[in-house]
Amino acid sequence: MSEVEISIVFIAMAAAIVLFPSLVKNFKLPLMPPKRPQNNIILFQKPNPNTLNCRVQLKKDEQDDCEFEFFDVEICGAIHAPDDMCHTTIQISVLDITDGSQKSQPVYDNSKKPQMQNSDVFCRNADLGKLPNKDTTLPDWMSVAKLQCDWMLPPHRGKRNLQFTISILSGQDGQELCNAKYTLTYVNPKFGYIDLQENIQRTKTLAVAIAFAVSAADNKLYNCEIELIKNWARNNIDVSQASNKAKDQIEKALKKIAQFFQSGYKVDTDEICREIVEIAPVTERYEILELCLQVAQAKGVATKEEISMLKNLANRLEVDDNRFRTMMEKILPVTIHQVKDMEVILGVRADMGKEETCQHLNKEYRKWHARVTNSDPQVQAQADQMLQFIAEARSTYMESAKQ
Amino acid sequence: MANIAGIDLGTTFSELAILNTIGKPEIVPNADGERMTPSVIFFDEDNPELIRVGVEAMNSRYLNAQRAVRWIKRNIGDTKYHKTIDGRDWTPVELSSLILKKLKQDCSAQCGEIQDAVISVPAHFDEVRRKATMDAGALAGLNVIGIVNEPVAAALYYATTRDVSGKVLVYDLGGGTFDVTIMNVKGRQMDIICSQGDHELGGIDFDREILKMLEKSYKEKFKSELINSEEERAKYEDEAEDIKKTLSRRPVAKKMLYGPAGSMKVEITREMFEKSAAPLMARIDMLLEAALDEAKLKTSEINKVLLAGGSTRIALVQNRLEKMFGFPFEATVNVDECVALGAALHAGLTMLREKPQAVSAGISSGLKDINLTDVCNHSYGTICAPIDKETGKRIVENRIILKKNTPLPCEATGTFYTVSKGQAALEITITQGEDSDPKYVNKIATHKFKLPPDRPAKCPIKVTYRYDINQRMHCKFEDVQSGTALEVDFCLDQNGQVSQQKANRMKLLKVE
Repeated sequence: MSEVEISIVFIAMAAAIVLFPSLVKNFKLPLMPPKRPQNNIILFQKPNPNTLNCRVQLKKDEQDDCEFEFFDVEICGAIHAPDDMCHTTIQISVLDITDGSQKSQPVYDNSKKPQMQNSDVFCRNADLGKLPNKDTTLPDWMSVAKLQCDWMLPPHRGKRNLQFTISILSGQDGQELCNAKYTLTYVNPKFGYIDLQENIQRTKTLAVAIAFAVSAADNKLYNCEIELIKNWARNNIDVSQASNKAKDQIEKALKKIAQFFQSGYKVDTDEICREIVEIAPVTERYEILELCLQVAQAKGVATKEEISMLKNLANRLEVDDNRFRTMMEKILPVTIHQVKDMEVILGVRADMGKEETCQHLNKEYRKWHARVTNSDPQVQAQADQMLQFIAEARSTYMESAKQ
Repeated sequence: MANIAGIDLGTTFSELAILNTIGKPEIVPNADGERMTPSVIFFDEDNPELIRVGVEAMNSRYLNAQRAVRWIKRNIGDTKYHKTIDGRDWTPVELSSLILKKLKQDCSAQCGEIQDAVISVPAHFDEVRRKATMDAGALAGLNVIGIVNEPVAAALYYATTRDVSGKVLVYDLGGGTFDVTIMNVKGRQMDIICSQGDHELGGIDFDREILKMLEKSYKEKFKSELINSEEERAKYEDEAEDIKKTLSRRPVAKKMLYGPAGSMKVEITREMFEKSAAPLMARIDMLLEAALDEAKLKTSEINKVLLAGGSTRIALVQNRLEKMFGFPFEATVNVDECVALGAALHAGLTMLREKPQAVSAGISSGLKDINLTDVCNHSYGTICAPIDKETGKRIVENRIILKKNTPLPCEATGTFYTVSKGQAALEITITQGEDSDPKYVNKIATHKFKLPPDRPAKCPIKVTYRYDINQRMHCKFEDVQSGTALEVDFCLDQNGQVSQQKANRMKLLKVE
């Protein structure tokens, strides 16, 4: 990146920082998992036969040709019950202690299994059966639970220290008879629940930047476009908990962003899209593209530059071509395209041969032909225009193919 | 017994045919002795109760184009369109009924009372337009016993008068519409396979291309517009049509243009015409290919091509057809009349089926063994809310239940499920159209269907659509668990009943 580009990114980041003070520390491009302190983990320490011991190992298994990881929870050692033949249950709960035991965070349940209580926190119960004696000793490690890793949702992605607490409870009154803890380092490959929350807000911030980039594509930001983006930001960025002061700051930030683009600065939309693809699910990417299409539509004419940028964005956001064209048909009808681009409007690519082009145009023709008798006059008008455009495209194409 | 008639209510010309005593259809000329009546209406300036239809109306356009109406078929079914004459708004249905009234009147004067009639419509006409056409017939005092697709009518006439068999393609290019129907013909047995049509593709569109060339030539020379009034436009529209007809016989047409800035001679060659009409021909080609795709046939599998509609005389059209199919087309019948003649045959067949006692023995004998199986002209479906596989979100979608081109009579069923626990009702929407996006289909009926209370989600709802040969549709939505059902029936004359007051008012108007 050049110095100018770096400073532009920082200006954009500055506006975003005003919007989301809580995200300051996470504000990096690209998104990097933060470094966390490591706890001392003692693996496979020799068990104490006089107390309950537990250990957890990360293993792999296969089911229906699908490989999955799971935590194998084992116990051994002594269990002291109030009576002989005491009925017991085992309860396993998990905490994320990556930031230390004092700052432990819950691990949520990501599976569809019913919960012990009305809680999303991960917890599993199982029947251990009746202990033969008041004082029972399990001499060897005994597996008591296999917990699939994707059943759990830690707070963050990356290396996490998960503390498993295994409690043996009395079946009669639920009193805890004994417990043991084991901490395991696990590399969570997916976004954690806090990451997901942050990603949602981050995606919306980036959406605003992209929308402004579309508006500025033709080197002119119209008030209707700016207002549309601002309204979208107000409706989508969660300010319900923010104070009036914070809300004012957000308005100022939006104004600053608009001025930034009005001054002729550009942002690296490719880089922004790359991050959006990393952190946002496909639904949100469609919403961003829809916002951008609405921006292009706002002034009643979609310029060549805006269309070109939208095409690029759809590609970078990994939105399927057909989906993009379907969205564009609805929001940017051909009647408002400043320049009628056959590829954009009809999906005819330069690398298509004669037969493929004809088949594709025929398919488009059938689609729009079916819409021409719609009771909505706007749909009818759009369909009529499209049929004319398709017919012109075909006759032009056939003429050039002859030559 | 009253005459049984078939009417071709065309965009540019209309004809009426009746079945003679031996069941053969014959065109009945109008009061001027012409077999074709221009579909033009002119409201007399001096006598507001007098309305001219036909050649006189055509010529009167040059005097006061504002009081003339042409091509009203392009607006039939459009509730927003109206023509205001002397403070009164005329709807497309009312205007069409004037043309039908003229035909009925003129022909009744010659052949006796005409009561029962079948009116032909383009194959692509949806239910709204078909109903509107029936309404126009009712307003004109006709008992419209059925609607027939124009290419089907043409095929019916061809098959009963010529040696036609195998896979037949009917190419109907009229004044305002273009339809293609593919059928299987074996003797007097005709099975429609599929139909396709374009509502804005006909002879008048070719005329417009020529008119554009005339205007462009004039402007290039004089830097001034050729046409400055509706009357001048009417005149040059006719000139353009004349040039088009000339180019079907000769390679070049010459005309004098008399505009406000001066006069000039203009030459339009066949090449120039073909170049400007290239997008229209591309549209025709794509429609043909779409029809062949739907029928799952290649051009080489078509045994015969039958022509209907005056615009099939255009040399460009004929050459393109021969090139596409590799053999000459069948054109031994009058392409202007075959639709009306076929409509009369269809009327006879309909009467035989529904009111055989009203059909004379001669006609019955003439129509015996003719068997026509039609298809569903459009797809019919319902709106549902499945989960999008890609996003995991619930979306609103049109799901087709009865597919287009299914042979009649037909029935199809689909099973859907309630969305939420305790769902108390369903909003039922019956749609017509091919799209999965609800925005692009016509919603022809909406009803509320109450469900039993306190039930879990995903209770099955069985939806059955049935379409009979008389174009009556029956829709049933059944809650499988409780057995309760909502049934909706459609008939072409449902909601198309014209008020008696309106019919009386139309009766009083004098049409000449």
